[in-house]
Amino acid sequence: MSSQVSVVDKREKSKVSSSSKEKVSRILNRYGMLFILIALIILMSILSPTFFTTGNLLNIVRQMSVVGIVAIGVTIVIITTGIDLSSGSVIALVSVAAASFAHPDTYPLIVPIAIGLGLGLLTGVINGTIISKAKIAPFIVTLGMMTAARGAALLITDGRPVGNLSDSFKFIGQGSVLGIPVPIIIFGVVGLISYILLNKTKFGKYVYAIGGNEQAAMIAGVNVDRYKIFVYGYAGLLSGVAGIILTSRISSGQPTAGVMYELDAIAAAVIGGTSLAGGIGAIGGTIIGALIIGVMNNGLDLLNVSPYWQQILKGVIITVAVFIDSRKNRKS
Amino acid sequence: MKVQKRLILFIILLLLSAAFISGCGEKQESSQQTSSQSGEKDKIVIGAALPDFDDKWLSYLQDGMKEYEKAQKDVEVIYVDAMNDASKQLSQVENFIQQKVDAIVLVPVDTVSAPEMVNKANEANVPIVVVNRQYEGVENATAYVGSESIKAGLMQMEEVAKLLNGKGNIAIMNGQMGHEAQIKRTEGNKQIIEKHPDMKVVLEGTAEWDRAKGMTLMENWLQSGKKIDAVVSNNDEMAIGAIMALEDAGKLEDVVVAGIDATPDALEYVKSGKLKVTVFQNAKGQGQGGLEIAIKAAKGENVEKFNWIPYELVTKDNVEEYIKKWQ
Repeated sequence: MSSQVSVVDKREKSKVSSSSKEKVSRILNRYGMLFILIALIILMSILSPTFFTTGNLLNIVRQMSVVGIVAIGVTIVIITTGIDLSSGSVIALVSVAAASFAHPDTYPLIVPIAIGLGLGLLTGVINGTIISKAKIAPFIVTLGMMTAARGAALLITDGRPVGNLSDSFKFIGQGSVLGIPVPIIIFGVVGLISYILLNKTKFGKYVYAIGGNEQAAMIAGVNVDRYKIFVYGYAGLLSGVAGIILTSRISSGQPTAGVMYELDAIAAAVIGGTSLAGGIGAIGGTIIGALIIGVMNNGLDLLNVSPYWQQILKGVIITVAVFIDSRKNRKS
Repeated sequence: MKVQKRLILFIILLLLSAAFISGCGEKQESSQQTSSQSGEKDKIVIGAALPDFDDKWLSYLQDGMKEYEKAQKDVEVIYVDAMNDASKQLSQVENFIQQKVDAIVLVPVDTVSAPEMVNKANEANVPIVVVNRQYEGVENATAYVGSESIKAGLMQMEEVAKLLNGKGNIAIMNGQMGHEAQIKRTEGNKQIIEKHPDMKVVLEGTAEWDRAKGMTLMENWLQSGKKIDAVVSNNDEMAIGAIMALEDAGKLEDVVVAGIDATPDALEYVKSGKLKVTVFQNAKGQGQGGLEIAIKAAKGENVEKFNWIPYELVTKDNVEEYIKKWQ
């Protein structure tokens, strides 16, 4: 099997170098949005004197870590021209399953974590397997998983929350190490691992290759099916991570948790420059996209903007941000 | 190899369909009930159209109906879930009419589409009892059973005003904007605040009934640096989120937090003194009352048009009584 892969690798190299133009636009994408994020931060700092404080900035990153982690998985999926609508429901399923094993003095901490991560991974692998083997559109398969996972979460708990969690489990979402909240640390670690996966490994090359031209990748010898299963499995795993953090943060497993998180995650990826047409996207961009959403949510709350206006403004800002970005790309 | 792959795919499909069937179990059950009932004319069949089986509070309402159903002889209730889809609910109500149920209990998905459903039932001469969600024109239905949302807001805020000695800065945490309960509960809050010249609303936002979002909103409010004396929330889940954020910041001692619903979780927070006020909307009572009136109407007995199930204020003093109710 290893010899097969190395042959593929050689064929890949010529293909990847020809897409260096894409790489340039990817970098532009990233910095364009960074500029918008900085502009938003400056604007909010002027409007609200309490916005630009260490406490509040940590607050924003911590709040966005759950959606941000999901968005990283979704980004990789979108790069392969796929989509994952099941993240929010998987979070709920993971939430109630992990919480059920996280009561004080029952199981060691590793058990709820393993169950949560395992379940997330499983849902992702099921998504990926059906998408690649049965050739059903990702939109449909993950829509099915979105419904089924939510149903399973409700079934397990009879629609009720699961409380009474151990202190060690609560530490994941509520604790801090050296003044940095644990969710932010996990967010950072997930971001770093995903960055390396996408930029420094064969896996990453193949992901971009599949997104750029699936047919060509297949002809070049990439086992497209297997990599798709990896990609959806990884997205599922990250939903599992997010589900565990969320559960720990709110001290309860909630079958109704995570509603619409998949859309926030997709929005973060797209704001961050990921192209829904596939082949383009970067972890850094997605993290910036998530932070833009976080800064907006936080800033509008600080300014006590009416909830009705908040929704309108968020919609406008998301659309305008992506519009500016696409204009800039066209010019370059 | 190929056989193996097919086998794996087959197993996955099998698992999925198993999950699907178990998920739809309740619906199948209900359709079986109807078919078994068509033979026995002496049984009273009630169709219960509920908006969302997944909703916690509504599941308690359904429990109330189920308990009352068990205590009755010759009554069978068919439960259907509209999954928060008004058009789905309309077709479910139409199906009930087609099945010639003896009466319908309707908890509307939204109050805009409800009049249409009531009209359909009226045209077919099937008694229809609207439960929990009130709207203008609800008197066209055979009867209404519920609690007045605004009263919950009034009751909650009155208690908070008492705790604050009639003065202070109030932050209002709204549910999903546009929901009847959100509009009325907040309206009730504001009516009381207006009566106290030393009280004012300093912050208002929405956390969409959700604990995690309530926590986020409270964290952001705390960052705003505004002085907050009380957080008045449209429901308990958001109030619990606010409590967690306040605890994190070490400020729970200075802030009165109030919720509505008296969910089992919330009662634990009342018991420990973290949640100062909640309001009990009697879910089981409404479910039971709705079914009771529907059965009466099915038998052709006279029923009251409006049947109010009162709200009850829950504080640390009487919390034990309510904890027992959920057990």
